[in-house]
Parts: sequence; C-alpha cells; structure tokens
Amino acid sequence: MQDRIFAGVSLLLCVALTLTAWGYHAPFSYEPVGPRAFPLLLLLLIALGAIYLIVKPSRTGSEAQEPALDRHMIRKIVLCIVALLIYASLFELAGFIVSSAVFAIAMARLYEGTWVASLSSGVLLAVGLYLLFDKVLDVPLPLGLLSALEI
Amino acid sequence: MDTFSYLGQGFGVALSPYNLFTALCGTLIGTIVGLLPGLGPINGVALLIPIAFALGLPPETALILLAAVYLGCEYGGRISSILLNIPGEASAVMTTLDGYPLARQGKAGVALSISAWSSFVGGLMATCGVVIFAPLLAKWAVAFGPAEYFVLMVFAIVCLAGMAGNKPMKTAIACCIGLLLSCVGIDSNSGVYRFTFGSLGLADGIQFVVLVLGLFSVSEILVLLERTHHGHKALDASGRMLFNIKEGLSVLGTNLRSGVVGFFLGILPGAGATLASAVAYMSEKRLAIKDNKFGNGDLRGLAAPETANSASACGSLVPMLTLGVPGSGTTAVMLGALTLYNITPGPLLFRDQPDIVWGLIASLFVANIMLIVINVPMIKIFTKILAVPYWALVPAIAIITSIGVYAVHATAFDLFLMIGIGVAGYILRKMDFPLSAILLGFILGGLMEQNLRRALSLSNGDLSILWGSSITLGVWALVALMIALPIWRMWRGRRKAAAQSVG
Repeated sequence: MQDRIFAGVSLLLCVALTLTAWGYHAPFSYEPVGPRAFPLLLLLLIALGAIYLIVKPSRTGSEAQEPALDRHMIRKIVLCIVALLIYASLFELAGFIVSSAVFAIAMARLYEGTWVASLSSGVLLAVGLYLLFDKVLDVPLPLGLLSALEI
Repeated sequence: MDTFSYLGQGFGVALSPYNLFTALCGTLIGTIVGLLPGLGPINGVALLIPIAFALGLPPETALILLAAVYLGCEYGGRISSILLNIPGEASAVMTTLDGYPLARQGKAGVALSISAWSSFVGGLMATCGVVIFAPLLAKWAVAFGPAEYFVLMVFAIVCLAGMAGNKPMKTAIACCIGLLLSCVGIDSNSGVYRFTFGSLGLADGIQFVVLVLGLFSVSEILVLLERTHHGHKALDASGRMLFNIKEGLSVLGTNLRSGVVGFFLGILPGAGATLASAVAYMSEKRLAIKDNKFGNGDLRGLAAPETANSASACGSLVPMLTLGVPGSGTTAVMLGALTLYNITPGPLLFRDQPDIVWGLIASLFVANIMLIVINVPMIKIFTKILAVPYWALVPAIAIITSIGVYAVHATAFDLFLMIGIGVAGYILRKMDFPLSAILLGFILGGLMEQNLRRALSLSNGDLSILWGSSITLGVWALVALMIALPIWRMWRGRRKAAAQSVG
C-alpha cells in the first residue's frame, strides 16, 4: 500500500515536472539535442517505474528492512526536523555558537539525555567545534550575536 | 618498466612526511567514523571534503586523505560488527555472521586481529591489481569517444540495478531520481535555467556535498532517533589479542581466493563491496568441507568477507581513476571531490597528472600497513568509543554536517536544501529505496548528459552513433545481459515456489 501511495505521488510529480520542463528551449543552439530532452527522458523512465510499482507493489511487512513507525516515533521525528529547520534559520542570524548550543541541547534532550548532560554537552560542543573549525581548521563560521566579541 | 618507475615516483609522493602524516590522520579519523553507529565511509569521506578544501590541501594530499579515510572506515565498521553484532553498513553484514559468534566465545581479540589481517591481505592484493590493471585500462580507454562513455554509464546504472538483489526496480528508480537531480541548475550548453523555480540558490545546481550530507547524514540522524530505546552493550575484547600462526595459515587460502573475487567484483561498476563480501562468504562456505562451522564462529567465515570487502574497496578505484565512472557510492563521493579540485578523472589523468594517480596508489599501500599497525594495539581505545551515548554523538554529527554544508557556499539556503533532501531521503529509505543509487545517479548524471549531447552533436542528431562501434555494441550486449539476469532470477524463483507448492 505504501508503495502505491508513493508511486502515485511520484507519478503526479513527474507530470508536473514534465509540464515545467516542456518549456525549456534554447533561444539559439548549434546542437541537435536541446536542454529538455535528457530530463524528459528521465521523467518518462521514473513514471514508467512508478506505474510498475502501482501494478506490482512489493509485499509490505514480509521483507521490509526498516521497522514500522508508531505515533510516538512520528512525533519525535517531526520534532527533530523542526529543530533542524530552526537551527538552519538561526545559523547566520544568531551566529554559530548560540544557535549550535541551543540546537545541541534540544537534540540531546530528544535523544534522551538528562538535562545536566544535555546542557553541558551542548555548550561544550558549540564552543569546542567553533574553536576547532574557525580557529584551527580555518573554516569561517558566522558569529552573529557574539560578533562584538571577535578579536 | 614504466609502471614501476611511476610507482616509485608515487611512493616518493606518498612517503613525504606531510603526506604520511595526512594518511595517519586519515586512517585514525576513518576508523573512528567507521566505528560510530550509522556513519559509514560515504559520510566520512563527504564530511572531510569541505574541510580538506578549506584547509587548502594540495590535490594529491586531499586525495590521499580521502582514500585513507575510506579504508579506515571499512576497518572501523568491522569493530562494531564483531563486538556489537551491528553492521555499520550493508557490506559489513557478512562479517557479523561469524565475527559475533567468535566474540561471544571469548575470542574477540583473535577475531579482530584476523579480520584486520584479512583486510590487509585483501587491500594489498587489490592494490597490486590496481597497479597492473589501471594503466592497461587507461591506455585502452583513450580510444573512448562520447558515445562509448554514454553507453558505459548506462551499463554502470543497469549493473547497479541488476545486482541490487530483491529490488531492482526500486534501485533503477532511485538512479533515475539521482540523474534528474543532476539536471537542476543552469544548463551549461544552452544557459537555460532548469528546475530552479526562480530560486537563485539553485541556479548553479545542487552542490554534491549538500546532497551527500543530506541523504546520508540527515537521514541517518532521523533513523538513529528510532533506535534510542535499544541499548547496546559491546562485548569485552579481552584475552589473546593476536591470532597465532596456525590460525593465520588456516585462513590463508580463503584470503587469496576472496581477494581475487573482491577485486574483480570491485571493478564492476555498481557491484561493490556488499556483493563482493556476500559472494566470497557463500563460495567459501561451499568450499569448506572439513569441520565446517560457518555461522557459528568459523575463522574462514570471518576472513572471506573481510578480504573481499577491502579488495573491492580498492578495486572500485580502477574504473573511477581510469574511466571517470565510479563503481560505488564512496568512489562517487571521491569523484565529486576530484571535480571540486578541477581534476577530471579519466584515461588522460594517468598521462597528465601521474603524481596524483600514483601517489594515491602508493598511499593505499601505506594506509593499509598503517591500519594494521595502529589497529591491533588500539583496539581497547576503539571499544571505548563504541560506548559513547547517542545524546552526545548525534548533536555532534548534526553540527559537523551543518558546518560541512555551510563551508561550501556560506549560505543558509544550502542548510535548508540539505534538510529537505535529508527528509526526502529518510522517506525513500523507509520505502526501501537504496540511497547510494541516488548518489551514483547524481554523479553520473552530468557526465551522461554531456556525453550524450556531445555524441549526438558529432553525428548531427543521428542516434545510430550510440551503437555504431564495436565497443558500444559490446557494452550494449552486457547491458542486455544485466537486464535479463534479474528477470531470469525472478522467473526461476517463481518456478521454484510453484514447484514447491505442488510437491
């Protein structure tokens, strides 16, 4: 059943992308193959594959390698994705150290660390990784809120 | 002998103190990354690319670092397979079959050192194979035109799907998704913006570091979330650490046979380490007539997959270096790294930049020796690392991943893109799609389209150039074989099932 839903969604996506790709046209060109032939060919192949999955979905349960999800797990996964998104949006605004500390504490809590462990490991990670990457390895990272401290 | 003088030159590069130190760091980092649950060679190599780039390492040093990390990861994955019964990645599954029983019998030290030795022999044999075969293939491949390359890449993809075992269709779809993702961005031939949806961040395409880290790191973080409940306890690696001569001799034949199998399967595009270790294990199991304890802690059952595994890891460098067609997810990442350095792997690489190629090959020798030297005395420390709890490990992985992505372009857009790709990758993984196929498709996509369009420009749009030469015809025949194989297997399986239900 999962397979059928997935195949249906990807079939719809294929159609939508085909409509987008149909308009790709080079204003002038010296080559016989335009920019749209290759993507269109791929979309056709994916669509054919999706149709195959609709007709013959793999048996669920019998040989699935990944365990099924329950409500509790889905909640945690959504929380984790939200944490990642907040981290990404704060990364430049608040700076690496602040955003990473907050994110690391949240993630550690999500992975069932105690409050004390999460707080200490989060702050240590944020400061330690900043020093390691920005100072030692020369990967520039944004300071954001703490930019006043920069020497 | 040209080859030997080049090899000597390569050792000159690899044995310079700077590169030697790089290789040592690489093997250590690799072993630790391979040890950690959920991190395999693909993540290890991908995480290091932006760092190697930011450090301003010269290309040959960066390549040596990546190769050392690759080999180190394969080594490290073994420790968690044997002590925890958790294979870090698909290719280590076969190692657990006999490794874990051995550890439970109190022979963890022997098992670890035997597998280190086996990997060493496999790696050494395959490196010799690379020395012999790579220049030959490179010489032959100079004659390849765009049409030949295109067909070769079709073969690589079909091979990957055909060898995927029980889900060829899903693998094929995953490959196509990867190929399609490579189309995003400005088309280099005509300047048309494709699939960017007006976003400036997508204009120069999806950066491959973003794709790799999204697919493998972010999705892995989500998968690890499901496993927080189950605590794992590593078995103690006490007692005798080193195998004795008798045990070493008993697996020697297995080592040699599996090394050859592993190397040749590694060369095949798409087959890779997983298949190699499985084939080696199965054939050794069949060959072992006297005191066959396979599955209950047979040293040969441990030696076979380990040898084949590292032999194929080295073997897969052959198509990557000579043809520019990667054979596995990890070599695809390394190919991406090379392109970041403006190095295009292919037959001409051997002629134009012998320092890089032979330095890499020589450093494989060096890294193999280093690994066996550091592995045996450091087992105790490595087992401690296995006990790191997820709540400390996962945030670190997530933050380092984000740094790696941010280092490429210094835009937060890439972070969002990575998360999006990661969530999509997680869903695909739940649906049983192999993610490494997407990656391989992505890496091959650009090359494939370029070569197809170049070939058709040469023939002025005449499609027959794609099957015009004897090389292309030969490769098409192989493609047909690869498509026929899974269908035949499925048909045979169904007949067997039908026969059973009747009888």
